[in-house]
Amino acid sequence: MTSKFSPSRRAVLAATAAAVPLVSLPLLKQAKADGLEGIELRHYKPVFFNDAQWLFILAACDRLIPAEGRGPGALETNVPVFIDQQLHAGLGNDIYQQGPHQPDAPATLGFQIPYAPQDVYRIGIALTQQLSQQQHGKPFEQLEAKDKDALLTALQKNGVDFAALGETAMKPSQFFGQLLGDTKNGYLADPMYGGNKDMKAWVAIGFPGARAAYTEWVDQHNVKYPLGPVSLSGKRA
Amino acid sequence: MKKLTSLFAALAWSLGALGALGTLTMAHAADQDLVARGQYLARAGDCMACHSAAGKPAYAGGLAIDSGHGIIYSTNITPDKEHGIGNYSEAQFATAVRHGVRADGTQLYPAMPYPSYAKVSDEDIHALYTYFMQGVAPVASTPPASSMSFPFNLRWGMKLWNVFFANDKPFKEQDGWSAEIKRGAYLVEGLGHCGSCHTPRGVAMNEKASDSSQAQFLSGGELNGWAVPSLRGMPHWSAQDIVDYLQTGRNKTASVAGEMSLVVEHSTSHLTRQDLQAMAAYLKSLSAAPARSGSVIAQGPEATTRKLTAARDLTLGERLYLDNCAACHFVNGKGAPGIFPALDGASVVNADNPSALLHVILAGARTPSTEKAPSILVMPGFAHRLSDQETAALASFVRQGWSNQAGKVSEREAGKLRAGLDKH
Amino acid sequence: MPDITNDDVDVVIVGLGWAGSLMAIELAQAGLKVRALERGPDRPPEDFAYPKPADQYGYATRNKVFATPRDAALTVRYNTAQQALPTRKWGAFAPGTGVGGSGLHWTAVLIRATPTDLKLKTYADQAYKHARLDPEMRIKDFPFTWNEIEPHYDFFDKVCGLSGNTGNLRGKLQPGGDPFEGPRSNPYPLPALHDTYNNTLFADVARKLGYHPFPNPSANVSQAWTNPYGAQIAPCNYCGFCSKYPCLNYSKASPQTTILDVVKRLPNFDYKVNANVIRVDLHADKKTARGVTYVDENMKEVFQPAKIVILSSFQFANVRLMLLSGIGKPYDPITETGVIGRNYAFLSNGGATLFFKDKHFNSFATAGATGEMFNDISPGNFDDGIKLGFIGGAKIHSSQASGAPIGTALPPGTPSWGRGWKEGMIDWYDHSMKISITTTCMSYRGHFLDLDPNYKDPWGQPLLRMTFDWRQNELKLQRYLRDIVLKISRELNPDHMSESFLALDSHWDITKYVSTHNVGGAIMGDSPRDSALNKYLQSWDVHNVFVPGGNAFPQNFQANPTATIGAITLMAAHAIKTQYLKNPGPLVQA
Repeated sequence: MTSKFSPSRRAVLAATAAAVPLVSLPLLKQAKADGLEGIELRHYKPVFFNDAQWLFILAACDRLIPAEGRGPGALETNVPVFIDQQLHAGLGNDIYQQGPHQPDAPATLGFQIPYAPQDVYRIGIALTQQLSQQQHGKPFEQLEAKDKDALLTALQKNGVDFAALGETAMKPSQFFGQLLGDTKNGYLADPMYGGNKDMKAWVAIGFPGARAAYTEWVDQHNVKYPLGPVSLSGKRA
Repeated sequence: MKKLTSLFAALAWSLGALGALGTLTMAHAADQDLVARGQYLARAGDCMACHSAAGKPAYAGGLAIDSGHGIIYSTNITPDKEHGIGNYSEAQFATAVRHGVRADGTQLYPAMPYPSYAKVSDEDIHALYTYFMQGVAPVASTPPASSMSFPFNLRWGMKLWNVFFANDKPFKEQDGWSAEIKRGAYLVEGLGHCGSCHTPRGVAMNEKASDSSQAQFLSGGELNGWAVPSLRGMPHWSAQDIVDYLQTGRNKTASVAGEMSLVVEHSTSHLTRQDLQAMAAYLKSLSAAPARSGSVIAQGPEATTRKLTAARDLTLGERLYLDNCAACHFVNGKGAPGIFPALDGASVVNADNPSALLHVILAGARTPSTEKAPSILVMPGFAHRLSDQETAALASFVRQGWSNQAGKVSEREAGKLRAGLDKH
Repeated sequence: MPDITNDDVDVVIVGLGWAGSLMAIELAQAGLKVRALERGPDRPPEDFAYPKPADQYGYATRNKVFATPRDAALTVRYNTAQQALPTRKWGAFAPGTGVGGSGLHWTAVLIRATPTDLKLKTYADQAYKHARLDPEMRIKDFPFTWNEIEPHYDFFDKVCGLSGNTGNLRGKLQPGGDPFEGPRSNPYPLPALHDTYNNTLFADVARKLGYHPFPNPSANVSQAWTNPYGAQIAPCNYCGFCSKYPCLNYSKASPQTTILDVVKRLPNFDYKVNANVIRVDLHADKKTARGVTYVDENMKEVFQPAKIVILSSFQFANVRLMLLSGIGKPYDPITETGVIGRNYAFLSNGGATLFFKDKHFNSFATAGATGEMFNDISPGNFDDGIKLGFIGGAKIHSSQASGAPIGTALPPGTPSWGRGWKEGMIDWYDHSMKISITTTCMSYRGHFLDLDPNYKDPWGQPLLRMTFDWRQNELKLQRYLRDIVLKISRELNPDHMSESFLALDSHWDITKYVSTHNVGGAIMGDSPRDSALNKYLQSWDVHNVFVPGGNAFPQNFQANPTATIGAITLMAAHAIKTQYLKNPGPLVQA
């Protein structure tokens, strides 16, 4: 199957050892240093995920926000870079972690499992890969799209069981919820966080980004806003 | 460090010791009024701008002033007998302030604006002397010695300079001045030493004019890469605008930026309303420079506002304006009275020399906190968000948008100014 | 023994948010030596210069300027039979921290309680005398009259540059405003913010159905304003990054824009940041405090001596400090003795989201307080509650605090991920509006705060435990309001609609954000038997401790609490200045 994005997507999904280690970005002494914004996904080496986990993340993000259909997908917008960077930079360090934990508390009493997001991913990816092997004899990233979708759906709805694999604290839906939330955040956040590359998601939905100046628009009711977005770093689309 | 041309050197942080100044009184009751008067005059003269340095006690000197030919360190003018001026007689104090000669006969560099202070009256010298002797705490520290390069390290050379360039005439009243204008002139020409920045300088760094009898006095110039406006007549501001600006760093259309922020914070915001009104009346009385014949046709306020509002087919400058400036200055370029400066009609925007405008765009600006207007309002700098090309496009747009009629700015000019910023 | 003892001050203020900042300026301008201790960081304007706050992920998703649960969690349980569990992540509410507190990033709806709200018990005793209300309900009157508080409301309105339409000017109703508001001595300082599209659609239908909508009273100001302290606020530019964000152009009334630059000029005021107060230290007779102890950023214990202690660290932090310090008797829900922790209440929200494929709402062009509301459904102004057996009401409003895209509502049936989600975002982003309710919440015998026996904070002190759940009174109110909202929604004829209201069997879901309008726990009242503070927010037990905050409310009214918190704080500051200083001791005889 071909899609308009396939050359780079295929390259990304197939890339393993081809990834160039990203030690540091050359910060050119110009007005707008690119930081995380100039990254090419196929050249990016993750700082939190190991190579195997990274393949899972690429494949999962590619189904959560796929390339097919209108609008950019998660890979085209570097969402996996966002997730990797966030986990590396201490996502979840604001959680109250002191025990004792009661993981089977009712959902209305909120997050009660003894895991930071980094643990959620580590354990969730490992267990999902186990399930994939169990069900299909292959790792997740090698499944057909429809099988990936089915496994993701099963995670989301607790149609599969982590407890049977020895994980008693975390439910599949909790892993899925973390992954989906981070994927959407990476898709829609300012590009300075590494996702929403070139503001493509904002362009697609019509959000003007960080312009934050609309005095002359508040009275224009039901008039489509014509201007593309600007990012915090000042890039235009 | 500050360049010599920047005579109102930045005090990086407020001086904690200054808080104690007001409470220090070693004067007898009879002298207290005199000390208070001297303290007020020291504010008018802004002595602390140079003679106080961040982190050091008030008036103990030690501020490094980069003259372009070496570093001048300001001196300790506390009444300490060993390290300061504690042994000065009033006559010696007067000679130093008015003529730039120290008690030991050494010439001061005109980083000390003695050509302006020559106009200070005997009464005021007496009050200042009393204040410095009795109202300032002695500080036992000697600042570093100045280290000028040859031949500027030869202080006797200053004698020659003074012969050619220093005007040490006392204050002279002009015919027809009201009492108010006379008072304003005395403050502006003398202690205020406004000419130090606002009068153009010759090749020997001398001010080209020293009082209102000369047409170039206060006719503007350049300072540290900033365009300094003319104060003659000030046709775009009312006297009230001038008073508000000096008192608070903001008026209904403008906001202070650059070195003048510190002048407002430490000097003019402490002057009485009457004195400020007198200064405003004097400035308004000066004949303005003839208006520049504009070859630039303004876009017009309605046209610019309409184009920005519609937000279609924008030029790069217009797009950059919406992405960076409109949040505060709005699409009509009018800002908000007293808080966001207007760009439409602003002197900093319309100045021939775009350096001040570029400086503000790239490095931002910040109002001082003053008694009458305590809010500190910060405009961010946009250097991190704009390339040189974008800076030039934005500045060019602003200079010709609405009713503005100034020339475009080149990418090279923007780059040059940015490079100058990075150095500091 | 403390590691360090500071120099003596007249007043120590714990927490430099709205209440702390008002106390600071009022008392420092009166000449007292005042020191504020703030547990969080400093928040200078450079930190949120344009365009930095225009960052939804950083501020609204990652809670950049909020306290963290790691440092400030509580524990929650529905009733005393359960073990309470920590709020490991924020959900229903999220406290601020740092200089400015939540005043830095609030939504800026500034609206007063009504005279009936302030005398709800008196009203209920009369109006509901033949109705059966929940026998566990414990509503009370505020211990002051409308006339006593109104000048302080008025002053705080001016401090904040309140922008809106006057409804009741000295008893005379004005067109365009809230006809149900209490009489004002002065009109609103500034005109209303401009209405967005959703506002006008909602208000037109509301008016047609006989309600009385008016623009949300806003402390995002509509024009350049100089307040009574001399501080300046700029006109709002409808930037769309307001609630949860520091303001990027000086147009939101906050401690920063309205007070701090002024009070910082006074040599008799200073403040310390990263100073976490762990207790108020009392004299041996426990009748007065001698100061407070805090832990500084180097983990040293510091004793700050003071003659007057102001606890202004937010509603539940104030209550916790009183419990940790032994100020007042802790509440026992069984015997109903004790006062600290008593009368805790919250609020509920809900509403409908309406989707219109052909309407452009430009929801990103909005101020935090943008919206139109009506207060027709408020105690004393409608009878249905009496007939149906519930007391309370709600603001019914269409507000659009932000159009930032994370969390965009999509029509029912839209997949939560995949191609359907992606295309749903493209098709429906900015094509929806909300009609919402913000309700009252009564107090009950079994809803209270105390110290948790199991969980501690990083400083080794027990977390505050919150026992709370929905009761039938609030759930019936929700169902009633749902009918009104759906009726308005149907009039607007959307292409799709989703709704979110509590059901009669709903438990409090702490994962869904409601609002950080937690109230009660150290309430003001007429008697030390059932209140912790007198009308001047002075502790009945320790007369040099004053506790301004939402903790003082005996139950929650439908108006946002900040206006009333500002007013009662100013009234207390006035009492300190004019009465307490001359004659330190209890200001009200019990």
